[in-house]
Formats: sequence, C-alpha cells, structure tokens
Amino acid sequence: MSIEELIPAYAAGELSDEESDRVEMALGESPRLRDELAQYERLFVLLSVAAEEEMSVPDGLEARIARQVALRAYLGAITGTVENLFGAYGRAIVYYLGLA
Amino acid sequence: MYRVCYRVLGNQEDAEDAAQEAFIRAYNKLDSFQGRSKFRTWMLRLAINVSLNERGRRKGSSPEGAWPAPAPGPESELLRSEASARLYEALQLVTPNHRAAIILRDLEGLPYREVAESLEVPEGTARGWASRGRTKLKELLS
Repeated sequence: MSIEELIPAYAAGELSDEESDRVEMALGESPRLRDELAQYERLFVLLSVAAEEEMSVPDGLEARIARQVALRAYLGAITGTVENLFGAYGRAIVYYLGLA
Repeated sequence: MYRVCYRVLGNQEDAEDAAQEAFIRAYNKLDSFQGRSKFRTWMLRLAINVSLNERGRRKGSSPEGAWPAPAPGPESELLRSEASARLYEALQLVTPNHRAAIILRDLEGLPYREVAESLEVPEGTARGWASRGRTKLKELLS
C-alpha cells in the first residue's frame, strides 16, 4: 500500500507501529504529505463531531413499528392457518387476497 | 437502527420508514439469525440494506448533491450546524458502499470486523471502502 493510501488510516490511528513509522518518515520529508495529513485530520474532526451528535428517535416511532410488526405477525398467522386448512385452494385464496 | 437509517437517508420521514421496514424484515427473518455474528451487526446489516435500497429507489426525486433538509425535530437543530451539514451533504456524494463503511466505522464507531460483517464483505474490503470513502470526502470538503 502506498504512503498516500496509508495516510487516512494513520490519521484515524488505525496503523500498526511499523506502518506508522513508514508514514512518519515520509511525512518528515514531504510538505505535500503533511498538508494531506492536515486535511484528513480536519475530516476526522468533522466526523467525530457528527458521531457525537445526539439523535433522538421521533415520538411515536417505536409504537408505530411495534404495531406494524404485530400486524404482520397477525397476518402471517392468518395466512398460515388458511394455507394449512385449505391446502392448494387456501394458497390460491391467500394469493388472490394479496396476503402473501 | 433509526440513527443509521437517518445517516444514510438524511431525512426523518424516509429514516422512519426504513427503520420500520428493517424491523419488519428482522421479525420475518428472525429464524435465519444463526448467531454467527452479533445481533447488533445483523440488525445493522438490515438497516443499511433497506436504507441503501430506499435511497436508490428515491434517487430520482432527490437531486444529487442536495442533502435533504432535516425535518423539524430535536435532531434537525443539531444537523443545522454548518460543519455537520457540509459533511452530510458531501457524504451523499460518496459511493453507497463507501458511504455505508464510513457511517458504520467513523460515525457508529464499529470495529472493522463488524463493519465487514454488516456489509457482508471481507474485512480488507471494508477497510478499502472506508479508505476510499474518506479520500473522496476529504476531496469534497477541501
């Protein structure tokens, strides 16, 4: 992997000691790479700010999801029952009613 | 789940729908969860898949490059900050797989092993996606 490719992972602190040494050696010799690193560091500041943001679940969403899951479960149970009771005809009815 | 959907989709209404769909799929597929990955990883995989599909489906109605305005709500105030808004706007221009890797790794803070499991790719691929996504983001924000 080239030094340029290692720089984002270096800025994120994801490199091994050996890889970090390689990057640091290259950084010492190249103002362009140091500028590149500074840009990645700014990006990680932005990412960490966004990661820290609180994001509350909208009111009523949990209840809405619970209702939908319960409804699907109920429909699934009805579908299974109809299929079991009426065999091929049951499957046709389920298909016709759009329950499957 | 909701937060990941929101970060992929960028607005409350779509994120609510995607979170709901992800939970319904999780319920329907619960039998297929075999415990080889963490339950959280399995759920995140569903959330990411549903959200990316939803994003692709709605692409025509949302112009590229325009991060949808956050709906009124507590989170919209936070997203109004200029820095976050720029970041989320740029994130939308990143390839979906790379965007998903960044969201899971850099915003959700998952280790690469879990990022890889969530995206159903080898760990090296997940690292590559995150790296290329970061490079693209850096270019967009410079």
